[in-house]
Amino acid sequence: MPSDDLRAQTLDHQSPSDLEGIPHTGEAVRSDGHLVEPQAKDFEHAKAAPRDPYWYKHAVFYEVLVRAFHDSDCNGTGDLTGLTQKLDYLQWLGVDCLWLPPFYASPLRDGGYDISDYRAVLPEFGTVEDFVVLLDEAHKRGIRVITDLVMNHTSDQHPWFQESRRDPDGPYGDYYVWSDKDTGYADARIIFVDTEGSNWTYDPVRGQFYWHRFFSHQPDLNYENPAVGDAMIDVLRFWLDLGIDGFRLDAVPYLFEQEGTNCENLPRTHEFLKRCRKVVDDEYPDRVLLAEANQWPADVVEYFGDAAVGGDEAHMAFHFPLMPRIFMAVRRESRFPISEILAQTPTIPSGCQWGIFLRNHDELTLEMVTDEERDYMYSEYVKDPRMRANIGIRRRLAPLLDNDRNQLELFTALLLSLPGSPVLYYGDEIGMGDNIWLGDRDSVRTPMQWTPDRNAGFSRCDPGRIYLPVIMDPVYGYQAVNVEAQSTSSQSLLNWTRRMIQVRREHPAFGLGDFTELGCSNPSVLAYLRKYTDDGNDLVICVNNMSRFPQPVELDLSEYQDGVPVELTGGVRFPPIGELPYLLTLPGHGFYWFNIELPTPDVTRDQYRC
Amino acid sequence: MTNTAADLIADISDSLAAVLPEQRWFAGKDRPIRAVLPVRATDLAGSDPRLIHAVVEVDQGESYRDRYQLMLGVRSDLPEFLGHAWVAACGDHAVYQAVHDPELTAVLLDLMARGVEVDGLGFATEPGVTLDTEQRSRPVGAEQSNTSLVYGQTYILKLFRKLAAGRSPDLELHRALTAVGCKHIAALLGSIEGALGADPVTYGMMSEFLRSAAEGWAMATASVRDLLADNQVIEGAPGHAQPNDPADAGGDFASEARRLGHAVATVHTDLATALGVSVASRGYLDALAAGMQRRLHRVVSQVAELAPHADVLRAAFDEVRDVDAPVPLQRIHGDLHLGQVLRTVSRWVLIDFEGEPMIPLADRIAPASALRDVAGMLRSFDYAAHHVPLGDADPEIHAAAALAWTTRNQEAFCDGYAQVAADPRKDAALLRAFELDKAIYEVSYEHANRPAWLPIPLAAVARLTS
Repeated sequence: MPSDDLRAQTLDHQSPSDLEGIPHTGEAVRSDGHLVEPQAKDFEHAKAAPRDPYWYKHAVFYEVLVRAFHDSDCNGTGDLTGLTQKLDYLQWLGVDCLWLPPFYASPLRDGGYDISDYRAVLPEFGTVEDFVVLLDEAHKRGIRVITDLVMNHTSDQHPWFQESRRDPDGPYGDYYVWSDKDTGYADARIIFVDTEGSNWTYDPVRGQFYWHRFFSHQPDLNYENPAVGDAMIDVLRFWLDLGIDGFRLDAVPYLFEQEGTNCENLPRTHEFLKRCRKVVDDEYPDRVLLAEANQWPADVVEYFGDAAVGGDEAHMAFHFPLMPRIFMAVRRESRFPISEILAQTPTIPSGCQWGIFLRNHDELTLEMVTDEERDYMYSEYVKDPRMRANIGIRRRLAPLLDNDRNQLELFTALLLSLPGSPVLYYGDEIGMGDNIWLGDRDSVRTPMQWTPDRNAGFSRCDPGRIYLPVIMDPVYGYQAVNVEAQSTSSQSLLNWTRRMIQVRREHPAFGLGDFTELGCSNPSVLAYLRKYTDDGNDLVICVNNMSRFPQPVELDLSEYQDGVPVELTGGVRFPPIGELPYLLTLPGHGFYWFNIELPTPDVTRDQYRC
Repeated sequence: MTNTAADLIADISDSLAAVLPEQRWFAGKDRPIRAVLPVRATDLAGSDPRLIHAVVEVDQGESYRDRYQLMLGVRSDLPEFLGHAWVAACGDHAVYQAVHDPELTAVLLDLMARGVEVDGLGFATEPGVTLDTEQRSRPVGAEQSNTSLVYGQTYILKLFRKLAAGRSPDLELHRALTAVGCKHIAALLGSIEGALGADPVTYGMMSEFLRSAAEGWAMATASVRDLLADNQVIEGAPGHAQPNDPADAGGDFASEARRLGHAVATVHTDLATALGVSVASRGYLDALAAGMQRRLHRVVSQVAELAPHADVLRAAFDEVRDVDAPVPLQRIHGDLHLGQVLRTVSRWVLIDFEGEPMIPLADRIAPASALRDVAGMLRSFDYAAHHVPLGDADPEIHAAAALAWTTRNQEAFCDGYAQVAADPRKDAALLRAFELDKAIYEVSYEHANRPAWLPIPLAAVARLTS
């Protein structure tokens, strides 16, 4: 960011005017210079969701942008109350947990990840009270809610930063990483290579450089200062007291800096996460921490903490490298891109779970692939340079797959059956499209398509007022693709997706089971066993054809001889497993989910024998 | 049922003479059997069922008699699932092929795990290996010259059928590669060895079973199929006469070909480290060229289509005599193609170091240029590209696409190879001679067996000599 932008800011930005009349940080200043911040006790608290300490291990997550889902007050922007109004839909779809990207007060220069007040809701989304209502209504429907928390940095509009630059000797003077020189931590890479030239930016107000791993308008907090850690723990408590079910901790690898390192994954960063986890474990049972660490699985595993105690840092972490490899595997008609990354994925502590996804609000991230694989992904999935963003591809699932229903189903089946909790991205359940003419990553953030009516039923506002235009092209436009039409068609992608989520819910093996890849000689077929034995015996076998052509496969299932494979979506019983390899044929991009019914030992006969 | 194993084999020799020609692994199908003679027979287990290990000689009226290893089971009551394995009746007992009987094959695993010798049959594990004897076995699909048993999903026991005097190169090279820590082979776990007369003989070898592996051939042809399917779409569009570039195809195989080249070069380097390298003498190169010329001479006389290329081919083989750069000689795989490599989740693995089955053992174990293996793989890419049926595709576009695929993957293979060892393309004359020699062998084979395939090696000959 050019520094003249910062020069324009003056001290009275301490309380951004759009929070006037709403409780917010810095409404008043104590005599010692500390800012007064809103407290949880000032608000109602939501009733908790039903108890389940491991709910996140078998949950289906649904990422929804508050701005994009439903507009309750006709101002062209989705809001918390609009989302609350659509909870019945989400319950009908069968999702277990909503993941909301940040809805905090923010100047919105990075989609809300530039937080200017951790304790206030962005006014156009509503209020803290609206959020408590959302939590309460969601919990009533058995749906949990987590949100992003950006701990690494704030917006430069945050009162903490404004105080820090104004008064280097005040209580916030040491809240950020300041330096007289811009040469420190030279080994740290620049993440947003498209826009940033350095990780240091000069602040003319304070006359020093400040450190930032992301955009220059997002100064990194200084975790060397114990007061910063304490302040962030208090932010956690604020939302946990209101009833939130957990946090996706954004950009966690970067909390601490250390000269001579790449400033990622440092031991003290892990120490701080352990401290956050202890607060959750001691004070807020059933709440989760999900780490966003876009790193190789072997490094990400560190964020689960000590395996001996079942994990003592994050409960969950995203598995980033898996996603691009699902795309590669299908395009190459070879299971090996997936097999290879899963074979390289270490086992995780017993209390932990991966989060897996096909698409999210960011670009399809290609940081976790080799250069060669990245070139391949660009050449396969990026028909137009506008589809690229940073190191990734900004497209939705359906257009990435040429709107091919067979592939959409195969990808979704993989997402719901590979090890980890699946995270769906809003709109992908109806096969929404994208708009690559929109800037940055907005192409995949257009309004949810509810009906064929004006503004896709997202808002009753004047269409000119809408925050982003709805998709209108003939294939993916809201008149062709919307919830209303698809919910009444039994053959729609929406009903198919809903059915698959139901099936997944009926079998604990999907969420809790072990994962074993089943060998087969056909390189285009990926087959695996999900096996859960803790509570009864649940065996699920998933067989996926990565090829567009029909394929045969022989699976060695002799361990389950005399077992009967029962196809899970229709309940059809397949021939029993014999001594010879089990032969299946799959249509192009086809897949099967089977439950294996094992023969029950004849107990009565044994009883009579003695 | 008290007769000795040797007596029993003698008793059923007529039945064996009837059953042997039905076995895939029996090499003498083209000549009538005069007699099946026991060479040795050993009881390995039990009385009912009983397991007999036997070696028989088959007299087919020639001076040399092939020897075969048999595993026979004897039961008083043959269960239905073994009915297909029936060989003979002997008194009131049934004699059958024991490889189909998990109860008896378990005996082999057990003997190996215990490391015992029974009547000159040495069952042994490799150093540091402990076998789990709980695994049940089943024979794997049709094999040409051996019978393999997979135990559980863990081990694979290859039983050699036609026995050659001398230790099997497969066993020998696996041991040598294991000793230098080669990562691109399946781990060797155990062996069954013995002696016939004065010669050592290998009866079987046990290896790690790579349950998640897929054959290179299947992967390569999946890639070709993807490319050609895209071409059919393009052909349908008006005004298109250009095939797709395989580099742009989704199913591109080049990154795999590159990794495969890397793996093959690593195995070659490991073989050189383990068993040494020498430099070919002038006399060796002369003999090599002469051998190539002999084959050419023979095939030209059989296949008229080869005649137009004969002069250029002779000249190409003569160039072998004049190769200036030193030609290293070492132990090689000997029969390398895409069917002899497996892709596991983490790496490419080379299997079956037996060498070309039709060649005498002494020639199979003689040091050779590693370029022969490279040439074998390059030819295999060409075959894979042409293996996928034409359908209603335009033959010209199909041919152009197949050639583009072949070239791209051959180059990628050589690139990967050159990351580890000398770039095979630097020895162009020798590599080309090996490729042509292989292609002429293919011409001969296809001419005799699969005339429809003859155009593949013929086109390669034309291309390589143009």
